[in-house]
Amino acid sequence: MSASYNELQLDALRELANIGAGTASTALSEMLGRTIDLAVPDARVLPMAEAVDQVGPPEQEITGIMLGVEGEMPAAVLMLLTPDNAEKICVMLGLAPESELAPSALAEIGNVVGTSYLNALAGMTGLALDPTPPATVTDFLGAIVETVLTVRAASSDHTLLLDSSLVIEGEDCSIVFLLVPDHGGAGELLERVGLA
Amino acid sequence: MSDLMARMGELCASRTRGDSLVALGLGSCIGLVLLDRRKGVAGLAHIVLPAAEGHAELNPLKFADTAVPELVARVLALGARKPMLEAVIVGGASMFAGAGSTLEVGARNAAAVKAALALQRIRVHAEDTGGAKGRTVRVDPATGVVTVRKAGGKNEQLYPPMSQTSTRVLQEVA
Repeated sequence: MSASYNELQLDALRELANIGAGTASTALSEMLGRTIDLAVPDARVLPMAEAVDQVGPPEQEITGIMLGVEGEMPAAVLMLLTPDNAEKICVMLGLAPESELAPSALAEIGNVVGTSYLNALAGMTGLALDPTPPATVTDFLGAIVETVLTVRAASSDHTLLLDSSLVIEGEDCSIVFLLVPDHGGAGELLERVGLA
Repeated sequence: MSDLMARMGELCASRTRGDSLVALGLGSCIGLVLLDRRKGVAGLAHIVLPAAEGHAELNPLKFADTAVPELVARVLALGARKPMLEAVIVGGASMFAGAGSTLEVGARNAAAVKAALALQRIRVHAEDTGGAKGRTVRVDPATGVVTVRKAGGKNEQLYPPMSQTSTRVLQEVA
């Protein structure tokens, strides 16, 4: 079964992503004490082979914070930022970049931001969404994204990416935020907003 | 003279001097290399999961059990000889260690690729699998040299073993 959605459905998913990311940006803003701008979110259905390239250059080194989502809509939330930006965020939190606390501080940022996003989605749709603890890794972008997509690859050759960018004002620092529902997950979302 | 890319669920093969076969940023996926070094033929598959498990309508190149025979057929079609085929396996990392069993697919991928190769009676001559690091693999069909680069690292030759090549160079010099 290939995932196919019409424009109306993709618009609805974009709107959900927008509200989720809006809530997430408020949470990030409170943690960092900075203003956060939100780039226009996108919802895209892509052939699996093209998905990695659409997110970024596969050999770019990137820091990824991943939360699994269990419950009525199994999914993965992946936040991606360059190692430079990860350092900037640690500094904003008052940590030395090479501090041994840096990875857990980032995981905590990911936890708060990701959980706010999911809570907003859960609130709008009535779906029970349970995040799993965050995991942080710095590696090739391709390796991180493909590992997250792999779980979805078992039942479809396509993947749905809901992406948003959180931009920290005045710091030239941004976080790419991806929600990747397991196959059928987006169907659940659409059903709840009456567009299945 | 071109880079042939094997993205998720794709394969490429070549016998053209100057070509490179490349799989960028392998995480839990496997880059399977098949070589007939004498004939200068190589193939590379970017395998995503162990087996299709009843999803017959999906891209067969994504799954170890169906991708391996397909890659064998592709290199044989380019003139490789089956008894001479050598396999090299790269990837199968566990990128998010401890983040749940669903992501421990890397090790299962490596095992499934080896099982599928055993069915074809093809021996694995080198492997760089497991661990927690992503890998890029490059293959030069003309020389049969396979290199691997991990994030933050340099290209390192995985196959043929460096000791073997250097002795051969020494013999040639002598």
